[in-house]
Amino acid sequence: MDNQNTELIIKNLKKHYGKNKVLRGINFELHEGERVVVLGPSGSGKSTFLRCINRLEEPSSGQIILDGVEVTDKNIRKIRRNIGMVFQHFNLINNLTVMENLILAPVKLKVMKKDEAIKCAHELLGHIGLPGKADAYPASLSGGQKQRIAIIRAMMLSPEILLFDEPTSALDPESIGDVLSLIRELADRGMTIMIVTHEMSFAKEIATRIVFVDKGKIIEEGTPDEFFNHPKTPRVREFLKKVL
Amino acid sequence: MNSLIIIGDFFAKVAELFTTPEYIDALLHGFLLTIQISYFAILLGILLGAIIALVDVAKPKGWLIIPKFICRVYTTIIRGTPMALQLFIMFFAIFAIKGFPSIIIAILAFGLNSAAYTAEVIRGGILSVDKGQTEAGEALGLSQTTIFFKIVAPQAIKNIIPALGNEIITVIKETAIVSMVGMYDLNMAAKDIGSGQNMASYIVPMFVAALFYLATIYLITFIVKRIEKSLRKSDLRTEG
Repeated sequence: MDNQNTELIIKNLKKHYGKNKVLRGINFELHEGERVVVLGPSGSGKSTFLRCINRLEEPSSGQIILDGVEVTDKNIRKIRRNIGMVFQHFNLINNLTVMENLILAPVKLKVMKKDEAIKCAHELLGHIGLPGKADAYPASLSGGQKQRIAIIRAMMLSPEILLFDEPTSALDPESIGDVLSLIRELADRGMTIMIVTHEMSFAKEIATRIVFVDKGKIIEEGTPDEFFNHPKTPRVREFLKKVL
Repeated sequence: MNSLIIIGDFFAKVAELFTTPEYIDALLHGFLLTIQISYFAILLGILLGAIIALVDVAKPKGWLIIPKFICRVYTTIIRGTPMALQLFIMFFAIFAIKGFPSIIIAILAFGLNSAAYTAEVIRGGILSVDKGQTEAGEALGLSQTTIFFKIVAPQAIKNIIPALGNEIITVIKETAIVSMVGMYDLNMAAKDIGSGQNMASYIVPMFVAALFYLATIYLITFIVKRIEKSLRKSDLRTEG
């Protein structure tokens, strides 16, 4: 049974480094237009979970199915085009200008012609309020600027899903607001999003579903209201008591 | 008074060296050989070194294990034995063929030696590139080739150039040991010019030879610095 609205299905995903079991069997589904926030204590495996989806980490076992197609070593490059990723440390390419960062993938992957890509990049840069930064190198930008550019770099490929791996953890409080409002805007436009974050109030506000990961397993999931106001498991109650 | 005479004599001998065609020709001849050996050895070293480095940083998958092992053994042996001994082995064992041009043996000896060091320099440069840079490329769906040439290599070069400059300088100076197998390089020329049949004084020709080495290396240092500076453009915190 392939639900039309189900974009991503994860079955029994496991990941271990030697004897260290980071993911102990994750089962998860992501539907179109959903905004899932992944919460959990540090070291719980939430980042690894996210990174396994586009195979930045090779899963030890389990299945990842995107639009009915199983993600494997063979088709991973095609799949990655449809899964945008935003990193904690931005990871703009240091030796390329902002414009080159934005157009590299769309041009190389033949998603757009070069002049189209440049036009699109200018529009997006203008939209995030950085129209003058096209020729700047990443080293000359602030953290908040880098992260917003990293987000529009992912958007250049019009991905189906956008993954955020702690997108504001390396930012100063003032930049956090700018980055969150850009994510909020993408959410409002109906983008399917998965975010690993420690920003509880943002999670509450933006999520359609909260997933709580502990010791490599999803131990609770629900709407923000269910999760924050009526947690089911003692582990989540304990977690919320500490972070709220 | 005495020291003035010595200094005067010294400069007179320098003038003699530069004005006697026999001497200056010998010196330039030696210098040319030093440059020829160095140039081709460095070229061979960089080429082979780059290949070794690439094999070394590649993921250990399937058949690659064998070349990886060979590269490891190669660098271990080359770096673990004296250059002079390697030169002797090349001259008196491997290429002990009558009439085989000694310049080629020397280029091979120094090139194969330099490759092991250059490989380490290039390997270090590649590994110094932040993993996040590669991951960004992977997450965008770029191929490994694009990631390497567009992202990793340009950043690695910045870290490679200074150490590579060092290696080039080392090779140029080290070629002086070819005089041990009777080749007429700059070092040998200085010794020859200073010998009893000629000037009968070593200090002046050796001093001049030293100046030749020094000038060459100074020039290379200058070029390397310029390259370094132009490569660092993207590190500057000013707007491009």
